[in-house]
Amino acid sequence: MPAPARPTIAVSIAPVQEEVTESDALVAPDVPWVTIVWNDPVNLMSYVTWVFETYFGYPRAKAERLMLDVHEKGRAVVSNGPREAMERDAEALQGYGLWATFEKDE
Amino acid sequence: MARAFLRDGDRIVAVLDETERAVLSGLMEQTRLLLAPEVEPTGDAWADLVASMGGTLDVGHDDRLQGHDDVREPGRDPALDRLLPAGHRGDDAVASEFRRLTEEGLRQRKSGNLDVALSRLAAADDDQVDLDLAQATAFVMALTDVRLLLGERLGIRTEEDAESLYASLAQLDDDDPAAYAVAWYDFLTWLQETLTSALMGEPGSTV
Repeated sequence: MPAPARPTIAVSIAPVQEEVTESDALVAPDVPWVTIVWNDPVNLMSYVTWVFETYFGYPRAKAERLMLDVHEKGRAVVSNGPREAMERDAEALQGYGLWATFEKDE
Repeated sequence: MARAFLRDGDRIVAVLDETERAVLSGLMEQTRLLLAPEVEPTGDAWADLVASMGGTLDVGHDDRLQGHDDVREPGRDPALDRLLPAGHRGDDAVASEFRRLTEEGLRQRKSGNLDVALSRLAAADDDQVDLDLAQATAFVMALTDVRLLLGERLGIRTEEDAESLYASLAQLDDDDPAAYAVAWYDFLTWLQETLTSALMGEPGSTV
Protein backbone atom coordinates (compact mmCIF):
# COMPACT_ATOMS: atom_id res chain seq x y z
CA MET A 1 0.00 0.00 0.00
CA PRO A 2 1.58 3.34 -1.01
CA ALA A 3 2.33 5.85 1.71
CA PRO A 4 -0.01 8.85 1.88
CA ALA A 5 1.24 12.05 0.23
CA ARG A 6 2.12 14.76 2.72
CA PRO A 7 2.19 18.51 2.12
CA THR A 8 5.84 19.55 2.30
CA ILE A 9 4.95 23.02 3.53
CA ALA A 10 3.60 21.85 6.88
CA VAL A 11 6.33 19.40 7.80
CA SER A 12 8.86 21.85 9.19
CA ILE A 13 6.26 23.78 11.16
CA ALA A 14 4.28 21.16 13.05
CA PRO A 15 4.85 17.69 11.56
CA VAL A 16 3.12 15.67 14.24
CA GLN A 17 -0.06 17.73 14.29
CA GLU A 18 -0.08 17.98 10.50
CA GLU A 19 -0.01 14.22 10.06
CA VAL A 20 -3.12 13.89 12.18
CA THR A 21 -5.13 16.55 10.35
CA GLU A 22 -3.94 15.24 7.00
CA SER A 23 -5.42 11.78 7.47
CA ASP A 24 -8.35 11.20 5.18
CA ALA A 25 -10.94 8.53 4.51
CA LEU A 26 -8.73 6.67 2.04
CA VAL A 27 -5.92 6.09 4.51
CA ALA A 28 -7.78 6.37 7.81
CA PRO A 29 -4.96 5.03 9.98
CA ASP A 30 -6.96 5.86 13.09
CA VAL A 31 -9.91 3.65 12.17
CA PRO A 32 -9.28 0.27 13.76
CA TRP A 33 -10.29 -2.95 12.14
CA VAL A 34 -11.86 -5.84 14.01
CA THR A 35 -11.78 -9.62 13.92
CA ILE A 36 -15.20 -11.24 14.31
CA VAL A 37 -16.04 -14.82 15.23
CA TRP A 38 -19.47 -16.05 14.11
CA ASN A 39 -21.58 -18.69 15.81
CA ASP A 40 -21.72 -22.11 14.20
CA PRO A 41 -23.48 -25.30 15.24
CA VAL A 42 -20.38 -27.51 15.18
CA ASN A 43 -17.71 -25.89 17.31
CA LEU A 44 -17.86 -26.73 21.00
CA MET A 45 -18.16 -24.01 23.63
CA SER A 46 -15.18 -25.41 25.53
CA TYR A 47 -13.06 -25.58 22.37
CA VAL A 48 -13.88 -21.98 21.37
CA THR A 49 -12.88 -20.86 24.89
CA TRP A 50 -9.63 -22.84 24.62
CA VAL A 51 -8.86 -21.21 21.25
CA PHE A 52 -9.35 -17.68 22.66
CA GLU A 53 -7.08 -18.55 25.61
CA THR A 54 -4.45 -20.27 23.49
CA TYR A 55 -4.24 -17.92 20.52
CA PHE A 56 -4.87 -14.53 22.16
CA GLY A 57 -3.60 -15.43 25.63
CA TYR A 58 -6.87 -14.09 27.08
CA PRO A 59 -7.61 -15.07 30.69
CA ARG A 60 -10.26 -17.73 31.20
CA ALA A 61 -12.99 -15.25 32.24
CA LYS A 62 -12.52 -13.04 29.15
CA ALA A 63 -12.29 -16.06 26.83
CA GLU A 64 -15.53 -17.46 28.26
CA ARG A 65 -17.33 -14.12 27.99
CA LEU A 66 -16.37 -13.81 24.32
CA MET A 67 -17.39 -17.42 23.68
CA LEU A 68 -20.80 -16.77 25.26
CA ASP A 69 -21.21 -13.63 23.12
CA VAL A 70 -20.54 -15.71 20.01
CA HIS A 71 -22.99 -18.37 21.19
CA GLU A 72 -25.81 -16.08 22.35
CA LYS A 73 -25.51 -13.05 20.05
CA GLY A 74 -24.36 -14.92 16.97
CA ARG A 75 -21.05 -13.08 16.73
CA ALA A 76 -18.43 -11.31 18.80
CA VAL A 77 -15.58 -8.92 18.14
CA VAL A 78 -12.58 -10.82 19.48
CA SER A 79 -9.74 -8.42 18.63
CA ASN A 80 -9.16 -4.98 17.12
CA GLY A 81 -6.24 -3.11 15.60
CA PRO A 82 -4.63 -2.43 12.24
CA ARG A 83 -5.97 -4.25 9.21
CA GLU A 84 -2.88 -6.44 8.75
CA ALA A 85 -3.12 -7.69 12.34
CA MET A 86 -6.83 -8.45 11.93
CA GLU A 87 -6.16 -10.40 8.73
CA ARG A 88 -3.55 -12.39 10.67
CA ASP A 89 -5.99 -13.06 13.51
CA ALA A 90 -8.78 -14.12 11.11
CA GLU A 91 -6.40 -16.47 9.29
CA ALA A 92 -5.13 -17.99 12.54
CA LEU A 93 -8.66 -18.50 13.92
CA GLN A 94 -9.73 -20.12 10.63
CA GLY A 95 -6.76 -22.43 11.13
CA TYR A 96 -8.39 -23.46 14.42
CA GLY A 97 -11.65 -24.07 12.52
CA LEU A 98 -13.50 -21.05 13.86
CA TRP A 99 -15.72 -19.03 11.50
CA ALA A 100 -13.64 -15.84 11.60
CA THR A 101 -13.78 -12.72 9.44
CA PHE A 102 -12.22 -9.24 9.58
CA GLU A 103 -13.75 -5.88 8.74
CA LYS A 104 -13.38 -2.17 9.32
CA ASP A 105 -14.92 -1.12 12.63
CA GLU A 106 -17.82 1.22 11.79
CA MET B 1 -14.87 -49.34 24.11
CA ALA B 2 -13.38 -45.89 24.21
CA ARG B 3 -11.98 -44.13 27.24
CA ALA B 4 -11.79 -40.33 27.24
CA PHE B 5 -8.61 -38.34 26.71
CA LEU B 6 -7.11 -37.78 30.15
CA ARG B 7 -4.08 -35.85 31.24
CA ASP B 8 -1.19 -37.84 32.66
CA GLY B 9 1.60 -35.41 33.55
CA ASP B 10 2.76 -33.91 30.27
CA ARG B 11 0.97 -36.58 28.20
CA ILE B 12 -2.67 -36.79 27.15
CA VAL B 13 -3.88 -40.34 26.62
CA ALA B 14 -7.10 -41.92 25.35
CA VAL B 15 -8.07 -45.53 24.83
CA LEU B 16 -9.62 -46.21 21.42
CA ASP B 17 -10.26 -49.69 20.09
CA GLU B 18 -9.29 -50.85 16.61
CA THR B 19 -12.66 -50.06 15.03
CA GLU B 20 -12.74 -46.59 16.57
CA ARG B 21 -9.20 -45.86 15.36
CA ALA B 22 -10.01 -47.19 11.87
CA VAL B 23 -13.15 -45.06 11.47
CA LEU B 24 -11.43 -41.98 12.88
CA SER B 25 -8.44 -42.49 10.58
CA GLY B 26 -10.75 -42.93 7.58
CA LEU B 27 -12.59 -39.69 8.35
CA MET B 28 -9.29 -37.86 8.86
CA GLU B 29 -7.99 -39.18 5.52
CA GLN B 30 -11.13 -37.94 3.75
CA THR B 31 -10.71 -34.53 5.34
CA ARG B 32 -7.03 -34.58 4.38
CA LEU B 33 -7.93 -35.28 0.73
CA LEU B 34 -10.36 -32.37 0.60
CA LEU B 35 -7.81 -30.01 2.16
CA ALA B 36 -4.79 -31.20 0.16
CA PRO B 37 -2.56 -28.20 -0.56
CA GLU B 38 -0.83 -27.46 -3.88
CA VAL B 39 2.50 -28.07 -2.17
CA GLU B 40 2.45 -30.93 0.32
CA PRO B 41 3.88 -30.24 3.78
CA THR B 42 7.20 -32.01 4.40
CA GLY B 43 7.00 -32.05 8.21
CA ASP B 44 9.97 -29.68 8.31
CA ALA B 45 8.69 -26.39 9.74
CA TRP B 46 11.16 -24.17 7.86
CA ALA B 47 10.74 -25.91 4.50
CA ASP B 48 6.95 -25.73 4.87
CA LEU B 49 7.07 -22.02 5.73
CA VAL B 50 9.14 -21.26 2.64
CA ALA B 51 6.85 -23.39 0.48
CA SER B 52 3.73 -21.62 1.72
CA MET B 53 5.32 -18.22 1.09
CA GLY B 54 6.19 -19.27 -2.46
CA GLY B 55 2.59 -20.32 -2.97
CA THR B 56 1.22 -16.98 -1.92
CA LEU B 57 3.87 -14.56 -3.21
CA ASP B 58 4.12 -16.16 -6.63
CA VAL B 59 0.39 -16.36 -7.06
CA GLY B 60 0.07 -13.90 -9.94
CA HIS B 61 1.91 -16.30 -12.23
CA ASP B 62 0.14 -19.44 -11.14
CA ASP B 63 -2.93 -20.32 -13.20
CA ARG B 64 -4.08 -22.97 -10.72
CA LEU B 65 -4.28 -20.53 -7.86
CA GLN B 66 -5.92 -17.87 -9.99
CA GLY B 67 -9.08 -19.94 -9.69
CA HIS B 68 -9.22 -19.03 -6.00
CA ASP B 69 -9.91 -15.40 -6.95
CA ASP B 70 -13.58 -16.12 -7.37
CA VAL B 71 -15.01 -16.41 -3.86
CA ARG B 72 -18.00 -18.32 -5.20
CA GLU B 73 -16.00 -20.74 -7.29
CA PRO B 74 -18.38 -22.93 -9.29
CA GLY B 75 -17.95 -26.58 -8.42
CA ARG B 76 -16.18 -25.80 -5.15
CA ASP B 77 -17.18 -28.31 -2.49
CA PRO B 78 -19.49 -26.48 -0.03
CA ALA B 79 -17.60 -28.11 2.83
CA LEU B 80 -14.57 -26.06 1.79
CA ASP B 81 -16.57 -22.89 2.45
CA ARG B 82 -16.81 -24.05 6.05
CA LEU B 83 -13.23 -25.31 6.39
CA LEU B 84 -11.81 -22.27 4.57
CA PRO B 85 -14.56 -19.65 4.90
CA ALA B 86 -14.65 -16.23 3.26
CA GLY B 87 -12.59 -13.85 5.38
CA HIS B 88 -14.83 -10.84 4.77
CA ARG B 89 -18.61 -10.62 4.56
CA GLY B 90 -19.97 -7.98 2.25
CA ASP B 91 -16.92 -7.29 0.08
CA ASP B 92 -16.15 -10.07 -2.41
CA ALA B 93 -12.96 -8.38 -3.64
CA VAL B 94 -11.52 -8.24 -0.12
CA ALA B 95 -12.65 -11.82 0.53
CA SER B 96 -10.99 -13.01 -2.71
CA GLU B 97 -7.73 -11.27 -1.88
CA PHE B 98 -7.76 -12.77 1.62
CA ARG B 99 -8.38 -16.23 0.19
CA ARG B 100 -5.60 -15.80 -2.37
CA LEU B 101 -3.14 -14.88 0.37
CA THR B 102 -4.19 -17.41 3.02
CA GLU B 103 -5.75 -20.50 1.42
CA GLU B 104 -2.59 -22.41 0.57
CA GLY B 105 -1.03 -21.80 3.99
CA LEU B 106 -4.25 -22.82 5.78
CA ARG B 107 -4.48 -25.99 3.68
CA GLN B 108 -0.87 -26.83 4.57
CA ARG B 109 -1.32 -26.26 8.30
CA LYS B 110 -4.63 -28.14 8.48
CA SER B 111 -3.12 -31.02 6.49
CA GLY B 112 -0.13 -31.01 8.81
CA ASN B 113 -2.43 -31.29 11.86
CA LEU B 114 -4.25 -34.21 10.25
CA ASP B 115 -0.92 -35.90 9.45
CA VAL B 116 0.12 -35.64 13.12
CA ALA B 117 -3.23 -37.06 14.28
CA LEU B 118 -3.13 -39.91 11.73
CA SER B 119 0.40 -40.87 12.74
CA ARG B 120 -0.53 -40.89 16.45
CA LEU B 121 -3.55 -43.13 15.73
CA ALA B 122 -1.30 -45.45 13.70
CA ALA B 123 1.22 -45.54 16.57
CA ALA B 124 -1.42 -46.60 19.14
CA ASP B 125 -0.04 -49.23 21.50
CA ASP B 126 -2.36 -51.53 23.46
CA ASP B 127 -5.24 -49.31 22.23
CA GLN B 128 -3.66 -46.26 23.89
CA VAL B 129 -3.47 -43.07 21.80
CA ASP B 130 -0.67 -41.19 23.53
CA LEU B 131 -0.06 -37.48 22.77
CA ASP B 132 2.40 -34.87 23.97
CA LEU B 133 0.97 -31.37 24.31
CA ALA B 134 1.99 -30.24 20.80
CA GLN B 135 0.48 -33.38 19.29
CA ALA B 136 -2.66 -32.87 21.39
CA THR B 137 -3.03 -29.35 19.97
CA ALA B 138 -2.69 -30.69 16.41
CA PHE B 139 -5.11 -33.53 17.23
CA VAL B 140 -7.85 -31.27 18.64
CA MET B 141 -7.60 -28.97 15.60
CA ALA B 142 -7.75 -31.99 13.28
CA LEU B 143 -10.86 -33.25 15.11
CA THR B 144 -12.44 -29.84 14.56
CA ASP B 145 -11.91 -30.02 10.80
CA VAL B 146 -13.22 -33.58 10.64
CA ARG B 147 -16.35 -32.53 12.55
CA LEU B 148 -16.82 -29.48 10.32
CA LEU B 149 -16.68 -31.72 7.24
CA LEU B 150 -18.98 -34.38 8.71
CA GLY B 151 -21.35 -31.69 10.00
CA GLU B 152 -21.56 -30.14 6.54
CA ARG B 153 -22.22 -33.56 4.96
CA LEU B 154 -25.01 -34.09 7.51
CA GLY B 155 -26.49 -30.70 6.61
CA ILE B 156 -25.74 -29.11 10.00
CA ARG B 157 -25.31 -25.45 9.02
CA THR B 158 -27.38 -23.76 11.71
CA GLU B 159 -28.42 -24.58 15.27
CA GLU B 160 -31.90 -25.32 13.89
CA ASP B 161 -30.44 -27.84 11.41
CA ALA B 162 -28.78 -29.65 14.30
CA GLU B 163 -32.02 -29.72 16.29
CA SER B 164 -34.14 -31.01 13.41
CA LEU B 165 -31.51 -33.64 12.54
CA TYR B 166 -31.59 -35.01 16.07
CA ALA B 167 -35.37 -34.82 16.15
CA SER B 168 -35.59 -36.89 12.93
CA LEU B 169 -33.18 -39.50 14.29
CA ALA B 170 -35.88 -40.93 16.51
CA GLN B 171 -37.65 -42.18 13.37
CA LEU B 172 -34.56 -43.88 11.93
CA ASP B 173 -33.39 -47.44 12.42
CA ASP B 174 -29.99 -47.89 14.03
CA ASP B 175 -28.55 -49.34 10.81
CA ASP B 176 -29.73 -46.39 8.69
CA PRO B 177 -26.64 -44.72 7.14
CA ALA B 178 -27.69 -41.31 8.48
CA ALA B 179 -28.09 -42.69 12.01
CA TYR B 180 -24.69 -44.38 11.66
CA ALA B 181 -23.05 -41.10 10.54
CA VAL B 182 -24.67 -39.15 13.36
CA ALA B 183 -23.50 -41.74 15.88
CA TRP B 184 -19.90 -41.22 14.72
CA TYR B 185 -20.37 -37.45 14.71
CA ASP B 186 -21.50 -37.70 18.35
CA PHE B 187 -18.52 -39.90 19.14
CA LEU B 188 -16.14 -37.30 17.64
CA THR B 189 -17.90 -34.55 19.59
CA TRP B 190 -17.43 -36.47 22.83
CA LEU B 191 -13.79 -37.24 22.01
CA GLN B 192 -13.04 -33.59 21.19
CA GLU B 193 -14.77 -32.45 24.39
CA THR B 194 -12.53 -34.69 26.49
CA LEU B 195 -9.36 -33.65 24.65
CA THR B 196 -10.24 -29.97 25.06
CA SER B 197 -10.86 -30.49 28.79
CA ALA B 198 -7.51 -32.24 29.13
CA LEU B 199 -5.76 -29.38 27.31
CA MET B 200 -7.48 -26.82 29.55
CA GLY B 201 -6.54 -28.72 32.67
CA GLU B 202 -10.13 -28.99 33.87
CA PRO B 203 -10.61 -30.50 37.34
CA GLY B 204 -11.33 -34.18 37.07
CA SER B 205 -9.59 -34.53 33.73
CA THR B 206 -6.38 -35.98 35.14
CA VAL B 207 -5.65 -39.67 35.35
